[in-house]
Amino acid sequence: MKFKAFLTEHGVGLLEKRFLSAFDKMGKVCHLLLTRDHAIFLHNLLNGDGVQCIAQFRKHALFDDYRISSQNEDRIAFAIDVSLLLRAVRSSVSICTEFGNGPTANRLQIKLVKKLPLNCTQPMPFLTFETKGYKSAVVQDVPISKPLSRAEVLELQTALDLAQDLPQTLVQVPDLNQLQNLVERMKHVGDLLNVSISKYGDLHVQISTTLVTIGSEFRKLLVIGEQAEAPSDDRNLSARTRSEMTISRGDAQHFQVSVKHFSRSIQCQLAKPDCTFYGIAS
Amino acid sequence: MTSSAVEAEAPDLVCQLDSVHGMVDALSAVRWKRHQDAVVELSEHGLVVILEDTGCLQAKVYLQRELFVRYEYNAEGRPRFGVSLGLFVDCLNSFSVPGRSSTIEIQYPGPDMQLLLKSVDSHDVCIYAEIRTRIPDTISWDYHFEPAGSTPLTFTVKSAALKEAMDDLEWPGSSIEIIVQPDPPCVTFKGEGHGDLQIDFTYYVNTDLVLAFHCDHQVSYRYKYKFLRAITSNLPSSVIKDNRGSKLSIGRGGMLKVQHLVSVARAAASHTHNDSASHQQPSRIAYIEFFVKSVVDEVN
Repeated sequence: MKFKAFLTEHGVGLLEKRFLSAFDKMGKVCHLLLTRDHAIFLHNLLNGDGVQCIAQFRKHALFDDYRISSQNEDRIAFAIDVSLLLRAVRSSVSICTEFGNGPTANRLQIKLVKKLPLNCTQPMPFLTFETKGYKSAVVQDVPISKPLSRAEVLELQTALDLAQDLPQTLVQVPDLNQLQNLVERMKHVGDLLNVSISKYGDLHVQISTTLVTIGSEFRKLLVIGEQAEAPSDDRNLSARTRSEMTISRGDAQHFQVSVKHFSRSIQCQLAKPDCTFYGIAS
Repeated sequence: MTSSAVEAEAPDLVCQLDSVHGMVDALSAVRWKRHQDAVVELSEHGLVVILEDTGCLQAKVYLQRELFVRYEYNAEGRPRFGVSLGLFVDCLNSFSVPGRSSTIEIQYPGPDMQLLLKSVDSHDVCIYAEIRTRIPDTISWDYHFEPAGSTPLTFTVKSAALKEAMDDLEWPGSSIEIIVQPDPPCVTFKGEGHGDLQIDFTYYVNTDLVLAFHCDHQVSYRYKYKFLRAITSNLPSSVIKDNRGSKLSIGRGGMLKVQHLVSVARAAASHTHNDSASHQQPSRIAYIEFFVKSVVDEVN
């Protein structure tokens, strides 16, 4: 199997400043799935519990001169430590800028290699970052897992396909900072968060223990997918009552999630999204 | 529906506060343990939050009605209820958004005798909280403060200096003796444990530190360190920034009374200069009182 590509300046910016920072908060290790057209970062797709996170890029978004080949329909997947990857990208950036820009500017090449590290008898796989400058070259090797077998890649691809199913109703959440602040505070109160999303564009988040209930309601959010008009007599009800009534009418989906997982998923905003939508998939 | 029936259903209190952060500061000043049960007393004059520890330490936070943007009192008499202080403060913190002033509405009682909180800034985003309350114990605490003689014995020191002194007095690991004497006019805090430490605040010499002093005869009493420590351990940073003074009085039997002033002003309107203590309107201040009983020595 072979993989070689040049990371564009834009691609490096996307990874270093946005997506890898967000992934770093999701967990230590993620999978990287490389296909003929896409580079996909996947977190926790095979485990089932906790936050699952996918960042899918068309190859042109990140790379130039992208070459891949493998016996598994030109698909290669492996596990990689996110913080090591982020560190390698960051230091490559600083090396690149040192040598300047322009047509003769050095380019950042990444490729899959097998090398024999010190004190090892067997060669190990690495994702190597090479910056070739005018007079010198810098090489950084990020260790990766053994590339996934055909069966494992299939498992990953299946999980990825399942995750592509969009919920019926999505609401646009305008202020992730506010939501994050609130959920951070809710962590002190209890473990389980009740979340409901209605077709009227209401997002309701609540945590409850025997001693206290804290909740927040965001109303009149932009809706994508199945929507409905809110009944006018709902306006004067308390947030809690309104949510309960909407659920009993069948106009809202609701579920319970660990407050720690929810809080972690909001960290995705480190990817600096243009807009964020929340929905509850069945 | 007749008007009297509507009144019967109105909650005891509905009030609105435009500075959640200030209220959090005031209540945090009386947190000295992880789990504390507070008693809240409502009246037409405002709220009082009362805490107590093992018969030796009592604290009160006075939140006068003038602090509130809206204060509708409908109860007869003075309803009291118990609530966990930590929970109350954590809930209030959920409403405080950094950099923005948020207005909240507090209502008691809810349909299930809960304390209800909700944000009233925006129609489309609403934060709410419901806190379970309990019926408070009817033990009457014996913290009656009486002046020691015909002239009250009292002095006022810079709150920041008092806090520093309390922090330092941890070091001897002993009970603390407070000695107040008229000539020279001086307050001494003394600890003699596995080390000795003495801190003197002398009036005249340190007019920056001791702002007022009234004492006509020497008194000396001992207090358990952990209770003295509680007086300043969670003083909000605004008290230091506003350069406030704390007033201490010693009453009959050595009962120590400490009064702090905590600003509850909106973040946008707060002043940051040294003389702010005199420029602050009294209505934007919460009063904190501590009462500490002296240690009674077995051998006199």
